Amino acid sequence: MAYLELQTLDKMFGTLPAVRNLSLAIEKGEFVSLLGPSGCGKTTTLRMIAGFESPDSGQIILDGQDITQLAPNKRGTGMVFQAYALFPNMSVYDNVAFGLDVTGRPKAEIDARVREMLALVRLEQTDKRRPHELSGGQQQRIALARALAIRPRVLLLDEPLSALDAVVRVALRSEIRRIQSELNITTVYVTHDQEEALSISDRVVVMREGVIEQMGTPEEIYRTPQTRFVAAFIGTANQLEATVDGAGTARFHQTILRLPSAPPVGSKIALLVRPESLAVHTTMPADNGRNLLEGVVQTMTFLGAITRIEVLVQGERVLADVSAEERVHLAHKQQVWLSFAPDACQVMQVQS
Amino acid sequence: MNQTARRPSPSGAAMIGLFLAYMLIPIAATYLFSVATKWDATILPEGFTTEWYVTAFNHAYFASSLTNSFIVSLSAVLIGLLLVVPTTYWVHARLTGAKPLLELLMILPFGIPTVVLALALIRVYSFPPLGRSPFLLIGAMIVFSMPFMYRPVSNSLAAINVRILTEAAYNLGASTFQVLGRVIAPNIMPGILSGSLLVFATVFAEFTLANLITGAGFKTFPVLLVEFTRRDGRVAAALAVISFTIAWIASLAILGIARRGKTTHETVRAR
Amino acid sequence: MGLFALKSRQRFAPWLGLVPFLAFCLAFEIIPIIVLVRGSISDSDGVLTFANYQRVSAPLYVRSLWNSIQLSAITASLGTLLGLFIGYAIFNWPSERFRESLIALSDVTTNFAGAPLAFAFIVILGSNGVITLLFERQLGLELYPAFSIYSYSGLVLAYVYFQLPLMVLLIIPAFAGLRREWRESALNLGASTRQYWRRIGMPLLLPSLLSGFILLFANAFGAYATAYTLAGSRLSLVTLQIGFSVTGEVRHEPGVGDALAVVSLITMGMCVLAYQLLNLRMRSEMR
Repeated sequence: MAYLELQTLDKMFGTLPAVRNLSLAIEKGEFVSLLGPSGCGKTTTLRMIAGFESPDSGQIILDGQDITQLAPNKRGTGMVFQAYALFPNMSVYDNVAFGLDVTGRPKAEIDARVREMLALVRLEQTDKRRPHELSGGQQQRIALARALAIRPRVLLLDEPLSALDAVVRVALRSEIRRIQSELNITTVYVTHDQEEALSISDRVVVMREGVIEQMGTPEEIYRTPQTRFVAAFIGTANQLEATVDGAGTARFHQTILRLPSAPPVGSKIALLVRPESLAVHTTMPADNGRNLLEGVVQTMTFLGAITRIEVLVQGERVLADVSAEERVHLAHKQQVWLSFAPDACQVMQVQS
Repeated sequence: MNQTARRPSPSGAAMIGLFLAYMLIPIAATYLFSVATKWDATILPEGFTTEWYVTAFNHAYFASSLTNSFIVSLSAVLIGLLLVVPTTYWVHARLTGAKPLLELLMILPFGIPTVVLALALIRVYSFPPLGRSPFLLIGAMIVFSMPFMYRPVSNSLAAINVRILTEAAYNLGASTFQVLGRVIAPNIMPGILSGSLLVFATVFAEFTLANLITGAGFKTFPVLLVEFTRRDGRVAAALAVISFTIAWIASLAILGIARRGKTTHETVRAR
Repeated sequence: MGLFALKSRQRFAPWLGLVPFLAFCLAFEIIPIIVLVRGSISDSDGVLTFANYQRVSAPLYVRSLWNSIQLSAITASLGTLLGLFIGYAIFNWPSERFRESLIALSDVTTNFAGAPLAFAFIVILGSNGVITLLFERQLGLELYPAFSIYSYSGLVLAYVYFQLPLMVLLIIPAFAGLRREWRESALNLGASTRQYWRRIGMPLLLPSLLSGFILLFANAFGAYATAYTLAGSRLSLVTLQIGFSVTGEVRHEPGVGDALAVVSLITMGMCVLAYQLLNLRMRSEMR
């Protein structure tokens, strides 16, 4: 049995299902992200683990103990909220000490633990300050120290970075991961930011409308999305809708494309190709087994290391990434050819 | 604030029940009393009559005191509007440095008991045409009610960021007149309306200033009411019901505006 | 030189827009107060004297001041305490519609202070009041003379009527300002609900309670119409004494009214100042 198990959880808000038949097993020391758009049930799931919502049915097992009905203040989970969760009437020191203090630990132990936690988040000097005197990023680091001070069995983070600006967000992201590996603490992280989830987690759980859409390592989620929703939500992907018309080939408008597999003839599919898998040619390349699309350049967006071009192919927009050198040879309204290996795309069935 | 459905706690329900009884019984009793024939030992009156209202309407001072109160209230609203709205707009749009001064002047009336205001004004303006005249009363009422006009107007101005809207309108080629009439005024209209209603209601009900400054010389409605509380309780009840009703109507109108326009209006009242 | 004149004109021109308003405030607010203060420290010939304040120390006036302070403190305390619990009950009521209606009711009733309200209390609890007679004839319970609406106890009842809803209106935003995250963080860290209220909830409400109390105190201290209608000259309050010196219903030594007015002006002014300062501090800290 895994360290933290969610078993067939259901939760309704009024007549609105928030979480449906959700099962998830998390190993000790694992960092798992719940990822999805707002309203997908990720926060509700986290709040059920913390005990702020109770599931309509199903069990939550932590370290072999059924905690489904346990009061939130008896669970030993450490939670970090989106923002503004530090107690404004207390100093930083008292905030971090709070959890130890209310459970009646001796003063010396509390003091040592608070110092240790402040050192861990690298904010030793702020102990006498009030929360409103700290920056947003510092506040979240203190919130993390406060949650960790009670030596929680599991760390819960509810979009802890979403209220911060971009630079702080990226820095704090690696800080959280560093501390998590240092303590080897089991962590559940809720976010709507796919880049954040992919960069920080051991495992990503993509949710939609209360249901797990797909789970796996960040690489699996990115390379082999199982549904069109995951494909669209994670990174950028072209989805070419085509009809299978032979053994391993499909028709996309007037163009015949080779497929990596052989779905039933006549079925509708979506061919998933990431912009970085498309090569851009200014003259028509020889047929070397790659699929070929012909189109006209519409817009070019400079993104730093790469330039993303939008090509109109038989009335549909297709995105492709080119390097700076390639960019020099391209112009608006220019005719181009896009090629991609059949192996670089993924076939998804389309329900009719 | 749990998202799951909650039921009211019994202690909460009991407290709210007592609160409702405290707030509603005096008012309800006055309404009933004003139409009761005899009501001295039963839970509800023994019979109903409009006699007390007829007596009140026919009283020599009824019409004149009602008219006087309307004159004073409407003058206070009108002059208050002219004094407060342009000034507040000006400070928000052009003279943000003067905001602390304006705030101070608008808080000051709360720190002056109405009796003291009346006494101070009578001391200074003891000569005609101001001395103990309706003009002095209107001036006193404006001082006393200014904050009620200022608060909602200032809040709605603060909510729209006057400076940026004004600059945006100028940038699109609007004239100063168009900026005021078509951009600023419609946006602060809810604030102006609630402010006016609040001033009207408070001035209409204000007894202290009217009693001390003009007294019997220029009777307002509340002054007549207090006279009757000592002479004829039945008629006094009829008059009290009329003032309650005016207060209810004004308050509900303000709440309606607040709900539609989402202006926050603070109720701070010193009496 | 010319440039400087132009620049300073540009800097001061906007202030011209404030002239009508400032002139009005000066004429009807500032100058009268200054004249009042000056009058309180001079005799009939305009010579500086503190005799008026010495006269105010006579037992009659000291008692009126004491009565006013006591009445304000008692009704403000009752209003604060009851308002806290009723405000919490309203804040936690599940139905939003009913919650809004109760807030609207508080909004209306706190503005009912004054003559009509005082009379409403005479209707129910006067010596021939509806409830007085009901108690007497149906329950055999004589309210009078132990209780009288025209006395101190009656005044307390009538004042709390407008103090309580004012506190409700002031405290509900304070409850709304207690973020859900604070309560949940406290529980998450192992605190009980009681520990949450003692260590976090109450300390955060305290400034609002204190500033509410001060506002209620000022609200009661400056009140006149309710006391005038109910008690008339039966009870000595500062505002009633000042009123008598205006109407001449009671003969005062000259200058005493002015001195009493200045004393109550200072009392109220300090309350409003304290209220304002407390609110400023809260705004900067409760972010």
